[in-house]
Amino acid sequence: MKVCRPNLGLPRKVVSYYLLFCIIAICWLAVGVLVTTHTVLSSQTIGSCLSKLDKLSAAIELEYLRSGTEHLQPLLMRAKSEARLNFCGIVSNDGVYCSHTREELVGQTPLEHGGHYHQSEGVKGIRYRDSNGAQVCEYRWPLMVNHEPIGTLHIGVVEPEMWQTLAEVAPLAPLAILVPLALVGAGGYVISRMTSPLSEISKQLQQVAALAPGSAEEITDIKVCDAVSLGWNRLVALMKRLQKSPDNYTLEEKILEATEARRANQDRVILENITDGVAMTDVEGRITFANRAVAALLGEAATEGATITDLLAEIDENSKEWTAPSNEGHASVCELHRKGHLSERIIRISRQKVNGNQRSGQIWCLRDVTQQKLSEKMRDQFIDTATHELRTPLSNIKAYAETLITEDEINVEQQKEFCNIINSEVTRLARFVDDLLSISSMEMGSLSIDRQKVDTARMFSEVFDKVEPLMQQKRIAFVKELPEKLTEIKLDKDKIVAVLVNLLGNAAKYTPAGGRVTLRVKLDQNTLEFAVADTGVGIAAEELPKVFDKFFRSADSRVQEEVGTGLGLSLAQEVVEMHGGEISVESVLNQGSTFLVSIPLQGVA
Amino acid sequence: MSFRALIVDDNIALARVTQFALDRAGFETQVAKNGQEALELAEQTQFDIVVTDQQMPVMSGTELCRALRTLPNYAECPLLLLTAKGLELELPKLQEELGINGVFCKPFSPAAIVNEIKELLGVCV
Repeated sequence: MKVCRPNLGLPRKVVSYYLLFCIIAICWLAVGVLVTTHTVLSSQTIGSCLSKLDKLSAAIELEYLRSGTEHLQPLLMRAKSEARLNFCGIVSNDGVYCSHTREELVGQTPLEHGGHYHQSEGVKGIRYRDSNGAQVCEYRWPLMVNHEPIGTLHIGVVEPEMWQTLAEVAPLAPLAILVPLALVGAGGYVISRMTSPLSEISKQLQQVAALAPGSAEEITDIKVCDAVSLGWNRLVALMKRLQKSPDNYTLEEKILEATEARRANQDRVILENITDGVAMTDVEGRITFANRAVAALLGEAATEGATITDLLAEIDENSKEWTAPSNEGHASVCELHRKGHLSERIIRISRQKVNGNQRSGQIWCLRDVTQQKLSEKMRDQFIDTATHELRTPLSNIKAYAETLITEDEINVEQQKEFCNIINSEVTRLARFVDDLLSISSMEMGSLSIDRQKVDTARMFSEVFDKVEPLMQQKRIAFVKELPEKLTEIKLDKDKIVAVLVNLLGNAAKYTPAGGRVTLRVKLDQNTLEFAVADTGVGIAAEELPKVFDKFFRSADSRVQEEVGTGLGLSLAQEVVEMHGGEISVESVLNQGSTFLVSIPLQGVA
Repeated sequence: MSFRALIVDDNIALARVTQFALDRAGFETQVAKNGQEALELAEQTQFDIVVTDQQMPVMSGTELCRALRTLPNYAECPLLLLTAKGLELELPKLQEELGINGVFCKPFSPAAIVNEIKELLGVCV
């Protein structure tokens, strides 16, 4: 695209008139200069000879005293050539030339010319045209010796003619005329270049004026070189679009438009429904688009027109540093902590320039990584716990075994005690390895159940033995609602016991001292159902769907205070589902939770 | 006069075997189950060396060391830390901050602890 400087807004016609005026002005100027030069030259010629008149008369008077009129001729000849005079002569008192630069006039009476006459300070001046047609100025100066007049000095000066002046300045004329002309020409070219879009527009507007009303067929785009031409082209496009009514669309155009509209709509639907927040901002950081997830993550204020950096700063002060202009283009990902009334959410935000262009807006992607972060934290905590659980028995075993080996004179009683300790630590280690293995099996999906005939009453008493000390320790009322008749059923007893212990253990763990935990059991031929209800801290509604996730632990500080791996409920769900049953939870925050388990007994081999 | 050693560990079995090794080496030993108990004992008796576990309820090993350093008689007392985690890498920092003289990672050898204590106290082996 050709780019010109901004124009003056003058159409070509105006420019032409302007140039014409310029040329006329230059000609007037040239004539003026010529006349002035001529006048100056004439005055200079006359002035220079008059200034010499004094000197010449003095020299003549001196020569006259010395040798009379004899030797005046050479003096006059010298004066003529020095002062560039037309002629020079002396008229004696008897009225004839006694000496003259033209010798043939000596002894003749001077001619009296009819011309312009003037006199000042004793000098008489006559202006006339001589026989050659030249303009002559003759001056007569009285000559005095010892206060006696001896005659008159006549000198003639030819005034330069206009053509002579012209001839003198002629060598400079080409330069004097061509340079201004060239400058005017160059100026004209620049102006015409600058105003070319206007003249184009003017031409087209004239065409439009000649057309029937409502027709814009003849209007075309012009070469884009500045804002005016660009604006014109946009107007042309707009007019053409307006002129083209839907009835005039071809079938292809209609299909294309419908397809584009559907695709745009489809894109919008996709963007609106993805769970990650997607927002677009303009150069000033104002939101031009934000999907529903953005409002969910940043709050209802995150609508079009809002400034994204302000919203982020409201959520987390630390975001200011990340969003600072100086940091733009560096770190593209940031994590914000949004404080809630109970829990904190972690939002990961990434940003990118649209098409990588510095002057364009940005696209922002937001993701709630609270759960991911919690899982990572839980996994780290789990590894921590596992390390501790492995190292403690190991260090006991090593310390006692080494003592037994290295120390002398240990009595038999002590030896036996040391061996017992080693033995119990090995058992503890083995149990922990078993736990690890079942977690690993669950992870790999290879956990299996082994249904055996189970005495229900014995199974429950085994559970109660394990959980009752915990309930008593926290002074929790443990209410057991068991059916009167407990029949034999087929289950993987150990695993169901583990589920019950986990649910009751959790209930005890997250119920404050003095609370109540209730176990309701329903048993018939078809199903075993039990519910574990507590009056504990409860689970927030948004966390309810996640409680069975591996490594999930509530963000509630009352839960975080307790030791846990976040694997118990996940393992319980796995076991119940492998029995073909279902596990679910109902909870109200700060009021308590109820876990419901239903295991089918029919159709079991 | 024999040296007095304080062993702090919630794992009683491990505390006992360490105590056994130190008793055999001629130390006068006492065992505390947690940091609180250890501080009370330290105020009653001037110990020449304190051996503490890191991971304990009530107060961690490093917290106990910090508390001990505030007691007038324990500003220079040698301190040994037992840990199940890889804290040995942080020894230079712990030495600078709390003046902890050594870190033993579990599982450790009681004999090695006895040797280290003897070296710290300048006792002939």
